[in-house]
Amino acid sequence: MRLSRRDFLKWSSLSAIGAVSCIFPDREMQIASSVEMPEDLVTGRDNWYATLCGQCPEREGIIVRVMEGRAKKIQGNPLYPTNLGGQSARCEAGLQAIYHPDRLSGPMLRSGPRGSGFFEPTTWQDALTRVTNELRQLQAGGNTEAMLVVTDPLRGQLGNVVGRFATAFGGRHMAFEAMEQPTLNRVVKDVFGQDTLPDLDIDNSGYVLSFGADLLSTWVSPVRYSRGYGRFRSHSNGTQRGHFVHADPRYSMTAANADQWIPVIPGREGILALSIAHEIISQGLGDRAAAQAMTSGAGAAALEAFSPDNVVRSDNPLYVGIPESMRGVAAADIIRNVAHGFAERGPALAIGGGEAGAQSNGMFNLTAIYALNFLVGSVGRRPGSGGVVFNPAPPVASAAVDAGSLTDWMTAAEDLRSGSVRVLMVRGANPVHGLPGSVRFASAIKTGRPFVVSFSNFLDDTAMMADVVLPDRLPLEDWGDDVPNPGPGYQVVGFQQPVVNPPPGLDPRSFPDLLLTMSQELGLDDGLPNTFRDVLREEAQALQALGRGSVEGATFEGFWNGLLQQGGWWDEGAVSSAAPPVPPSLAELVSQTPTPVVRSIGGGANVFQMVPFLSNSLLDGRGAHLPWLQATPDPMTSVTWQTWVEINTGKVKEMGLEEGDVVRLVNNEGRSIEAVVYPHPAMPPWVVGVPVGQGHASSGEYAMRDGEKRGDNPISILASEPKTETGSLAWGATEVRVEATGRSIRVSKFEGIVPAFPIGVRDEDIVQVSRE
Amino acid sequence: MAQGNKHKWGMVIDIDKCTGCQACVVACQSENNIPLNTEDRFHQRRAMEWIRVERYWEVPDEYRREGANDNPTEPTDAPWYDIKARFIPILCQHCENAPCEPVCPVFATYHNDEGLNVQVYNRCVGTRYCANNCPYQVRYFNFWEPVWPERLRNQLNPDVTVRSRGIMEKCSFCVQRIRRGELKVEGQEGGRLSDKGLAEGNFMPACVQACPTNTLIFGDYDDPNSRLREYVEVDETTGEKHLKDPRAYQLLKNLGTEPNVIYLKKIDPQFEGD
Repeated sequence: MRLSRRDFLKWSSLSAIGAVSCIFPDREMQIASSVEMPEDLVTGRDNWYATLCGQCPEREGIIVRVMEGRAKKIQGNPLYPTNLGGQSARCEAGLQAIYHPDRLSGPMLRSGPRGSGFFEPTTWQDALTRVTNELRQLQAGGNTEAMLVVTDPLRGQLGNVVGRFATAFGGRHMAFEAMEQPTLNRVVKDVFGQDTLPDLDIDNSGYVLSFGADLLSTWVSPVRYSRGYGRFRSHSNGTQRGHFVHADPRYSMTAANADQWIPVIPGREGILALSIAHEIISQGLGDRAAAQAMTSGAGAAALEAFSPDNVVRSDNPLYVGIPESMRGVAAADIIRNVAHGFAERGPALAIGGGEAGAQSNGMFNLTAIYALNFLVGSVGRRPGSGGVVFNPAPPVASAAVDAGSLTDWMTAAEDLRSGSVRVLMVRGANPVHGLPGSVRFASAIKTGRPFVVSFSNFLDDTAMMADVVLPDRLPLEDWGDDVPNPGPGYQVVGFQQPVVNPPPGLDPRSFPDLLLTMSQELGLDDGLPNTFRDVLREEAQALQALGRGSVEGATFEGFWNGLLQQGGWWDEGAVSSAAPPVPPSLAELVSQTPTPVVRSIGGGANVFQMVPFLSNSLLDGRGAHLPWLQATPDPMTSVTWQTWVEINTGKVKEMGLEEGDVVRLVNNEGRSIEAVVYPHPAMPPWVVGVPVGQGHASSGEYAMRDGEKRGDNPISILASEPKTETGSLAWGATEVRVEATGRSIRVSKFEGIVPAFPIGVRDEDIVQVSRE
Repeated sequence: MAQGNKHKWGMVIDIDKCTGCQACVVACQSENNIPLNTEDRFHQRRAMEWIRVERYWEVPDEYRREGANDNPTEPTDAPWYDIKARFIPILCQHCENAPCEPVCPVFATYHNDEGLNVQVYNRCVGTRYCANNCPYQVRYFNFWEPVWPERLRNQLNPDVTVRSRGIMEKCSFCVQRIRRGELKVEGQEGGRLSDKGLAEGNFMPACVQACPTNTLIFGDYDDPNSRLREYVEVDETTGEKHLKDPRAYQLLKNLGTEPNVIYLKKIDPQFEGD
């Protein structure tokens, strides 16, 4: 187009007028934020669906925000009885599991040597045919016991489906948990006479005394305990702030939150508990009748060897390790004060677990600890009144499958090695990463060459050993249910519904549905419907038939919808009717060996007892592939993405090390891991703490560093001896030698990213000096 | 808002209840599309957490040194068994006299009439003056373009802008949730967005919603029925806040920033000798 000079002037004058007229419209002069949505902006519509979290064994009730078929946010379900709206960092990160870039898109067949990581995609039909053919061969050969199904500890109908499949086929089912709790389960059975864990009502207790259990971070049901802790520390409504004492060899997050931390030598928690019992009985505190019964009438004399004065003497074989004085209070007085507080500021609650149970004397420790509850009348209380609350049996038939012990797993590894297991199916468990190196689980698979089927979503350490990988649906994409263990003191059945479809391009299939399909193909008589959803609907019908509980519905569909809307069914009136059990005999307990056996390294310099602990975010490693969890700072050290070793600051100096130095931790067999030094000012000088969770040989981009192992796995250097009295892994009983490697790296921690600043002037500091 | 309701949003943080569990940190990252904190980000000291849980080592008075708080990892002569760790969640304090606001040359950060210190991303030119002037160190700068693997982008919250390289960002009290609440409760239903409405509609800030111990309490200082009023008295005429809980304090109060976040002190019975 040609533009004459006249036209040009005409146009430019017009546009100048236009520009002038819209230079200062009113709206432009207002300063408005783009993060604020103007009222006329149409917002997308979101839906919130209730379901269950599958990120950790606690299985919190959650609600998921879904927009346009995509999950956007996970929050605690405020109605769900165990967590009442609370949640953990792990739970939140379930979103990243759905949309993870390394998620397997469909079934895969091994195409290279076992463990090499070479797989090629195949069709579901082909993959399933291969698996059923293997199983048919076992059937044909009359060798069905050569099938082993390994899962995580299962509850609810999934336990039922897997159990029935294995039984109908004639094979075996074992549950795996890295930091196993068989000792705790056994003590709960022996001391309280209960098949399920009791609810520990921290909320309504006045005094909580815990030993070894990192209950605010990772132990058993941390969100439920944290919720209780919040109420326990409540200052409103005229309630008295509860007092919390924690005994632990390591200054953990739970120890940091206690009003008093009592450092103990690993495995001597039971001795400390008996010392507290001695003081309670000798001073005539608490329930005297119970004390008489528990000591066969002998009173404190039965526990004389455990008197506070005795157990704080460092030359005594029963020395518990409390320093001579802490903040000006003598060691024996610390025990006495705790005994008085425990007996007088009730309802009191004694809790034991974690490292205290993972010793050769784990049962002794936990029995002594839970026995304290009998001395103050805290056992078998009504829900809402503090102390130990028993849980009732589930309202409908449910199969809880507890984890096998180390002895069971060593046997299983031998069976694999010898070839007597021909088909190994693994779902929700990672035994290659979670079993001690001395069990040599991976090499057992390589030697025995069973047909390995993995139902993992990611190529984790165990899936790498598989012949066929059949990716399972994630909990947010699948049906399910749960009978929480521990429950909240009354009957609860949580329901899990698919809230989103798998992302486009991914074709995972539901594990229970696959089992039910295979069951049909193989002609097994498991007595179950064709789909897992139908199994759950049958369960829902049984619940509706009870005619009570939180869900009402005139029709079954109405009931079913109500169930899914709420995220489950519960009946606050359905509490345990179990009579308080007979208290354990302390007189009998003291006849046992109270001191632990340690896998000694035989002396020498720089030897420490290693206290492995579950990572607050990665747990036993099941969250290691999620970037949010990798980047979540550890509460105590703020370290992320790495494996560190917490060593007493003074010891670090003594060894000539400093923060960031890479050290080797060597056990008595010469097995070692590497970790980066974090000087910990509050760590006892005789232990080192190492988090579990890293050190995966596989598991995707975020769990690894440039294709190599990220961090290291302390479980790999745990000794398989000694075991606890239940034959399970005594993971707190291994000594290590700390050796410098001469290398040093930067610790990837949050601490120091923002300069710390003095928080207020002295009298307004974060630490209040007065209760008033 | 829609009905002419006035709000003054604020928060009370009871550090006696904070366990340091980090649930709030991940909840915030999930809600607000915060870039992934890769290992490199930590090495470069450029990881972003709109809310962070700081851990301080606390030593008995006799071992206390002037300025020892300045470095939480600083070695101390205190014996290991007398040292304690303290947790404190720190987020934008939404100051009434925010030092970050007057230094912004482009009005990218300003105070709105609901007590929020707001960051306008498309106005920000990245001078970082605001971060320099923030005594609480809660402003984070995008040194890089944020990167998510393609599939992970499905999770991003459509209510929150993804900030690009060169932009300053910080806690917004989840303003997108508050706005949704105001639109729904006040715009459509004609009521006032109260504590109850915030909780029931999932309009609380993500950190508050996530906290399992109820350490974080969010509410409206202008609402006489808000839980905040248990801890703070508000002068109805001037709007001035007076802390009435004996444990209540404000971070760096001496600077006169008048934060809208109030802390409740930790209680340590060991100081009482019991």
